[in-house]
Amino acid sequence: MSKDQQQADKGRLHQLQQDFMAYLLQGEPGPALADRLKRQIRDQGGISLDTRIGIYANAYRVRLTEVLETDHPNLALYLGDDLWNTLTSAFIQARPSQFRSLRDFGDALPDFLRQHPQFNQDPILADIAAFERRLLNAFDAPEQPRAAFEQLQGLAPALWPGCRLRFHPSVQLFKCHSNAVESWQALKQGQAPAAADYSAQRAWLLWRGESRLTEFISLAPYQLALLEGFLAGEDFATQCAAMLAYVDADQAPVTVLQSLQAWFSMGLIARLDPGRQG
Amino acid sequence: MTNTVITQPFLGFGLGLRTQHFEHVLTQQPEVDWFEVISENFMVGGGKPRYYLEAIGERYPLVMHGVSLSIGSTDPLDMDYLKALKQLANQVQPRWISDHICWTSIHGINSHDLLPLPYTEETVRHVAARVRQVQDFLGRRILLENVSSYLSYKDSSMDEWQFLNAVAEEADCLILFDVNNIYVSARNHGFEPLDYIRQMDPRRVQQIHLAGHSDYGDYVIDTHDSPICDPVWDLYSAALTHLGPVSSMIERDANIPEFSVLEQELAMARTLALQTLPQLAADHGKHHSAGLPGQDAKRMGSL
Ligand SMILES: [Fe+2]
Repeated sequence: MSKDQQQADKGRLHQLQQDFMAYLLQGEPGPALADRLKRQIRDQGGISLDTRIGIYANAYRVRLTEVLETDHPNLALYLGDDLWNTLTSAFIQARPSQFRSLRDFGDALPDFLRQHPQFNQDPILADIAAFERRLLNAFDAPEQPRAAFEQLQGLAPALWPGCRLRFHPSVQLFKCHSNAVESWQALKQGQAPAAADYSAQRAWLLWRGESRLTEFISLAPYQLALLEGFLAGEDFATQCAAMLAYVDADQAPVTVLQSLQAWFSMGLIARLDPGRQG
Repeated sequence: MTNTVITQPFLGFGLGLRTQHFEHVLTQQPEVDWFEVISENFMVGGGKPRYYLEAIGERYPLVMHGVSLSIGSTDPLDMDYLKALKQLANQVQPRWISDHICWTSIHGINSHDLLPLPYTEETVRHVAARVRQVQDFLGRRILLENVSSYLSYKDSSMDEWQFLNAVAEEADCLILFDVNNIYVSARNHGFEPLDYIRQMDPRRVQQIHLAGHSDYGDYVIDTHDSPICDPVWDLYSAALTHLGPVSSMIERDANIPEFSVLEQELAMARTLALQTLPQLAADHGKHHSAGLPGQDAKRMGSL
């Protein structure tokens, strides 16, 4: 067979695949596309060509909708059936999957909510979506051994000021300006969420503990500052200084130490990075 | 064509490993001969799923089953995907790796569905060339699975079984034979499933899938959400008669029941296989207690 013929055959398969995918992607395919695709499908009797293609078109939407529902159960509850359907249809239409795993399909959902002219009127929606993505990240983050508080205690005092922390990969901060997490919790417990409240910034820490359960707690401003500093690679001395904005000078080292002790026991710390002496 | 055995030793009776059962499998160590895992589920990050995969892999033989290879696509092969697959295989050390004979993506967009190909000489060449590329890259033969389908193309010039055998022969790859998919497609396209089964090349079938489907009367959809129905059990028996012992497993992807329900269904597969192939009893008993590969390399039946 000639190379030209092979190219032509591949072109034919390519055109078929392009038409088929376009049919799946367009919620309501136009008649020209539908006709072009149907001309390639064999009429075998039994069910109609429309039913045959429709099985694929329907399965495509159902599968993606189910993924979003599994990943965002409480956002779905918060919105209620009608708005949830509007959201998932719009998202599926706008952001076809370029991922090998459906796990990643909803990654852009928080951004989509922030940009959507209807849904961005309620910023709490994007916040709930973002929080649910963080939970998934904490669940999927790679496993790593964790360090014990005794390792810090065993460190020569001279090394403490320059000491840095390496966190477990599941550790994540979540900040928002709404009561998204409180609403998420209410829905999770089968209760109605309070009205959206945008009065203050809130911060949360998410991580997967040693029991492999995903956990989260709210953070006071000083805890957030402490965590953000250590996550950014700051050392013990710098973080003690940073605490002066929140506590008295004589309380700063104790505050840091108590927090660290808690972090170790929560399994947040993967290892210590002792500073150099002097 | 040679008579060399290219399939791997009979592994016995397995189950698809699903998240809901991780903890149970790890702590209870049920009597299942092996597990199949979905490759893509373990390619991201790792974390909790990877922890279970490693721990379960220490106790059971594993095989990897992919859904995003898109072997029939006219897109170039996704080398990033293949690298991730190879890396995962290095860690998991699966007995084998499989995917489907279909296409899933075009222009980089993934339908996450197993879409049908036209069965033509051209498609055979196109798919076989890509399978060879994949096998060269992975350094091993892969298995391709027949998919359920709901439409067929005017362009098709051969039956699905001819297509499947032709690709396997030309690419020198193996076959994952899904008995439920044969039933589903037979109902949707009006062919005789036994014709399909009897045409399969026993030298290349290395694994069997069993699953449930949803019957809508006029058509049948491959949903993997219910028990295996009697006609599919009959076809399984017919497949074993023709193929000899083939490592078999049950796939359940939705409406996932208690582990014990799947164990009962697996016991059914085992019983049926032993009735169909009485020779299996001695060999498999040995294999099962020792749990070691390599003992039952001999394949029986039509070999
Ligand atoms: Fe299958």
